[in-house]
Amino acid sequence: MALTKEQLKEIETNLVEVASKQVGPIIKEKTGTHFESFDDKANQVDLVTAVDKKIESIIKDALSKLYPDFRFVGEETYKPGDTEIGAEPTFIVDPIDGTTNFIHGYPYSCTSLGLVENGKPVVGVVFNPHLNQMYHASAGNGAFLNGKPIKVAERDLKLQKSIIALEAGSERSSGSSGDDNFDIKQATYKNLLSDQGAYIHGSRSCGSAAMNMCMVATGTLDAYWEGGCWAWDVCAGWSILTEAGGIVVGGNPNEWEVPVDDRCYLAVRGGSTYPSQKTFVEGFWSHVAGKLKYHW
Amino acid sequence: MFIIARNLKNFNQDHHHKRSMTINQAELLSIEQFLSTLARDQVGPIIKSKSGTQHSYDAKSGARAVDIVTEIDKQVEKLIWTAVKEKYPTFKFVGEESYVPGKTAITDDPTFIIDPIDGTTNFVHDFPFSCTSLGLTINKVPVVGVIYNPHLDLLISASENNGVRVNGIDFDFKAKIQSMGPLKLSKSVVALQPGSAREGPNFKTKIRTYENLLSCDGGFVHGFRNLGSSAMTMAYICLGYLDSYWDGGCYAWDVCAGWCILKETGGRVVGANAGEWAVAVDNRTYLAVRGCENPQEQEQYIRDFWKCVEGRLDYK
Repeated sequence: MALTKEQLKEIETNLVEVASKQVGPIIKEKTGTHFESFDDKANQVDLVTAVDKKIESIIKDALSKLYPDFRFVGEETYKPGDTEIGAEPTFIVDPIDGTTNFIHGYPYSCTSLGLVENGKPVVGVVFNPHLNQMYHASAGNGAFLNGKPIKVAERDLKLQKSIIALEAGSERSSGSSGDDNFDIKQATYKNLLSDQGAYIHGSRSCGSAAMNMCMVATGTLDAYWEGGCWAWDVCAGWSILTEAGGIVVGGNPNEWEVPVDDRCYLAVRGGSTYPSQKTFVEGFWSHVAGKLKYHW
Repeated sequence: MFIIARNLKNFNQDHHHKRSMTINQAELLSIEQFLSTLARDQVGPIIKSKSGTQHSYDAKSGARAVDIVTEIDKQVEKLIWTAVKEKYPTFKFVGEESYVPGKTAITDDPTFIIDPIDGTTNFVHDFPFSCTSLGLTINKVPVVGVIYNPHLDLLISASENNGVRVNGIDFDFKAKIQSMGPLKLSKSVVALQPGSAREGPNFKTKIRTYENLLSCDGGFVHGFRNLGSSAMTMAYICLGYLDSYWDGGCYAWDVCAGWCILKETGGRVVGANAGEWAVAVDNRTYLAVRGCENPQEQEQYIRDFWKCVEGRLDYK
């Protein structure tokens, strides 16, 4: 079965409804009020709160009523090694993306609701209740911000003229975990910034993968490079970005096609031709200082 | 001190009196209001309408090759200069665009220190964190600060001993600080910006310090954020969104307004290098830390932060 354009639009509309009416108000009300929930465990920068779980169950309930046959993958119900994303329509949901922001009251937390079919993101809804920004899209139906079509102005896409989202993430050990992802990331940031390297215009960091994807979708950012985030962090934004003319490839060199759960991505804005996007990607990859490795 | 009792209009006509006097609290508030109106009604609309429209621009040479100057920057500075000159003809003026390296000095006189558009790269790219930053120093101390971001329609302003206003409404920063809990390096979100100079010892110091702050063997901060605007970063600390901001290479006009506002909320600005407890507004390296209920906690935070600084930032 393949969902039609009309069905996808209807799903988009329903997700917008859930995000704005049921999820947004809770995120807005609870942000910055949960400092007592800080967990001091080593390496526990990624904070999970009771609110996260509560919101995920609200979303799951709402969606299973509307779409009882669809599968559901959420950050809070994910089981390592057990949860798989197949070909059937699957909601991939992050109840609160940007948990650190949420806890600190930094206005870049949001809810991220996506749907994949045949492994490809086909519906995306990202709602930031603090800035009142609702990004939404579905395959073949275009991308929107608060109901207005997202149009990225046609302009040059050049690595040296770009601003790129780069995040530290929560994995911060140098080598001790067996992976050297943290070191590779830091070395890559240096290569991108240095006047001996890509010498990009600037890097930005807002602490939310979904918001970064949306800012690439609108062309506010030129690109976003990430390793370590999860399918639910990027799924919705991926669909929105694709509908706005952007592309998502692997964060490691030469990975032109990656699955939604690759955990390592490079997202590039629209407003330019595919050949220039390709040149941008190849230029970017030449500065990646090693191979990022993640497990699903 | 007889001047204190006078209204500002008379005061401004009072040319012949020495400038080393104080300006009273009510006068500072009136200056804050004047700058707020100027920022919101005159500067903001230009920034908002021109953001992202300047696809051809000059790149400054050398270390500031990625620091972009636009024509609009210059226009906006002129607009501000003209307005404040008319209203406060005896005050001095230091602006990003009219600054002459080695010549422009900040004295004890009342001096407007302004950045017409802070976050120029954001402005060029239409990243919604460009703003105007209008400050006033007296005896080299920031006493009025106004920051306006027209994209977010966020106006944050303060003057010495007059508290802080957000979009003209008094901001209860004490309640905010109480809700934020303890200030600790490992629980904090820190603003870090590589800036435009991307070579040499300062760049190396920055990159190494970022690693130390993030690493689980170092400061292990909760996260870092990068907005690409010093003034917006300072504003976000004042609002309680961020805990601190560490930077080198920025200028007095990038931090002057934010410094005043931060001070009003109990925050503190010190140098970026260890031991620099007292620095001038044009120090060019800064560590700004939010207010908290216990001043000793703030001091400890600064000491812990400095431990992560590897090398020395130097822009002299």
